Amino acid sequence: MASQSDPHGSAFSAAELEFLAEDEMVEIVPNIRMDPLNLISGDFGPFRPQIATQVPLWLAVALKKRGKCTIRLPDWMSVEKLTQVLEAERDSARDFQPLPFHYVEIARLLFDHARDDIPDIYMVRSLIEDIKDVRFHKIGTGLEIISERTYAVKLLNLSAMEVNIVRPFVAKALETFYKLDSPEMIQDAERRPDARTQAPDRGPRRPLRPR
Amino acid sequence: MYGKKASELVKEFASSEPGQLSAFNNDLFSQVLEECNGHLLHLQSLLRKMQEDGPDNQTSRNADHFGALMHHLSIVRNKRCLMAYVYNRAEVIQHLGWTIERVLPEEIEEKLSNPEKDYFKNHSATLQSYMSELDLDLAVDMVPPKDPYIKVRVLEEIGNVVLSDQFANLARHAILFLRRTDAEHYISQGLMEELSS
Amino acid sequence: MASSAGEGSGSGLVDTDDYESLISTTDAELLKQAWRNEKAAPEILRFEASLVQRSREQIQLMEETIEEYSKNGVDALTVSLYQMDLDRTMFLLRSYLRTRLQKIEKYAFHIQKTSELWNLLSKPEQTFAIRCTDDMGQLFEQSVLSKLPDRYKSHLKQSVISEEDDMVPEAHLDSFVICRCKRFLGAFQLDETGVEKPVDLEADDLYALRYKSIKPLVESGQVDLV
Repeated sequence: MASQSDPHGSAFSAAELEFLAEDEMVEIVPNIRMDPLNLISGDFGPFRPQIATQVPLWLAVALKKRGKCTIRLPDWMSVEKLTQVLEAERDSARDFQPLPFHYVEIARLLFDHARDDIPDIYMVRSLIEDIKDVRFHKIGTGLEIISERTYAVKLLNLSAMEVNIVRPFVAKALETFYKLDSPEMIQDAERRPDARTQAPDRGPRRPLRPR
Repeated sequence: MYGKKASELVKEFASSEPGQLSAFNNDLFSQVLEECNGHLLHLQSLLRKMQEDGPDNQTSRNADHFGALMHHLSIVRNKRCLMAYVYNRAEVIQHLGWTIERVLPEEIEEKLSNPEKDYFKNHSATLQSYMSELDLDLAVDMVPPKDPYIKVRVLEEIGNVVLSDQFANLARHAILFLRRTDAEHYISQGLMEELSS
Repeated sequence: MASSAGEGSGSGLVDTDDYESLISTTDAELLKQAWRNEKAAPEILRFEASLVQRSREQIQLMEETIEEYSKNGVDALTVSLYQMDLDRTMFLLRSYLRTRLQKIEKYAFHIQKTSELWNLLSKPEQTFAIRCTDDMGQLFEQSVLSKLPDRYKSHLKQSVISEEDDMVPEAHLDSFVICRCKRFLGAFQLDETGVEKPVDLEADDLYALRYKSIKPLVESGQVDLV
């Protein structure tokens, strides 16, 4: 009665990733006067008209929805920066450019709630889409190098959503190679039912394959 | 073939939609149990025979020994399949305990065996008792919260009211933010409309 | 009770920088971390008793504050922002506790008989675990075990011949997780036998690794699961 279900198939739901992204800090310019907020998640404000201040994204969106602020586009979301990132992503078949861990979710939240604060929104949106596509494609081809020689995979600069997408695949693939190579496999199956598949802590003898 | 029915039972569970239950397969389940008893009779008679033959008869002892072992392994195999069937169904039932109030809807209940119905009741009570010990309801907030406030326009004069978090003057044409739970009641009566942000 | 941010790791890797980052880390941040780790780890982790206690106190305080504000006519905007902050913290706390209970439901028999795991549970969780095994035990008994031959009636063992408990589901520690190092950890031996080449674990880099090989680093709060 071993449960073979994979607890890592999806550690975090899309809604949970968005929730985490909402804690990322952004800069807003309030148009109201409001006392500092002493929240459980931190102290923010004071809020003064035209004086920029840093708040978590959820707070920025809440104020924005109520017409109390404008949100300043994060630097990395400028057309100029995104263009550079896209070019660099296209130039390298393997490397990923550093972007915020939650870049996909942050961008989507801002597109949904702060449209009028994003200059060249169509351009920004299509750059983000292109970057996403190039990176997803790279992930796909990158995964092909997972082989029985892979002991651990370094996932440099992957974002939260990308991690979530590769998680089931990488985890399953590595686990399978690990199991195939484990001394366990050749032991008497009758004495070792699959509920206890723990090998002695000795992985397959494979070098780390850097990516 | 020994163990075939048991594996059918497990396959039946494995092929159902994740998180969904089909009706408890009483027929197949009791057939597998019967098979176990059949194996036991063979096993016992072989063991008796081995004892009667004494330690001398090397050849027949080997044959009987492996025969007995095979029946033993068949029982174990069947047992594991039966347990896997019950255990995996129980996991689905556990999950129901998180999402469904204490009474099961009929269409689910009729799929459960009697012990499973008891299990649902007991396990829901187990969960409830943990929650009351902590004085914290864990069956809410299953997904991350969104802004609980929605933007509404008041369509008909409602006047001053006490809401869950504020006193509000709900004058006709006023546009304001209310807790969704407060607003829903007015929206359903057609006194307000929700505005998209 | 160790909070998740590196105290008590005893590995000599905790330096003053870590101490400073520890004291400047808010409970909200720690709770989020504990939640993430618990969600991503295959096995149950140590119950963050003092963190949960502090979080509940903060929640209660915040509830009182909100009630007072709305009574005293503080503007609706401010009140709603406090309410949203409260909602977010409540979600994290509930989801954290829920994730743990779901692991206990799944591995109750194994947790109950393994003292290292048993000691990671809070008192109410232990009570819960015992009742889980009772509930499940009764279900097994009524559905299967009472109808099986005498020597095959255990829910832990396949038969009386089994020397050890060979029918108890437990967490797969060999499963792969994705983790991020909080700081440069240098060459880390992923494999206790020393056959593997050590891997350089660098700050902020992501790795997919076997949970078992980094379990101590998760427990001491030096890496976060994502």
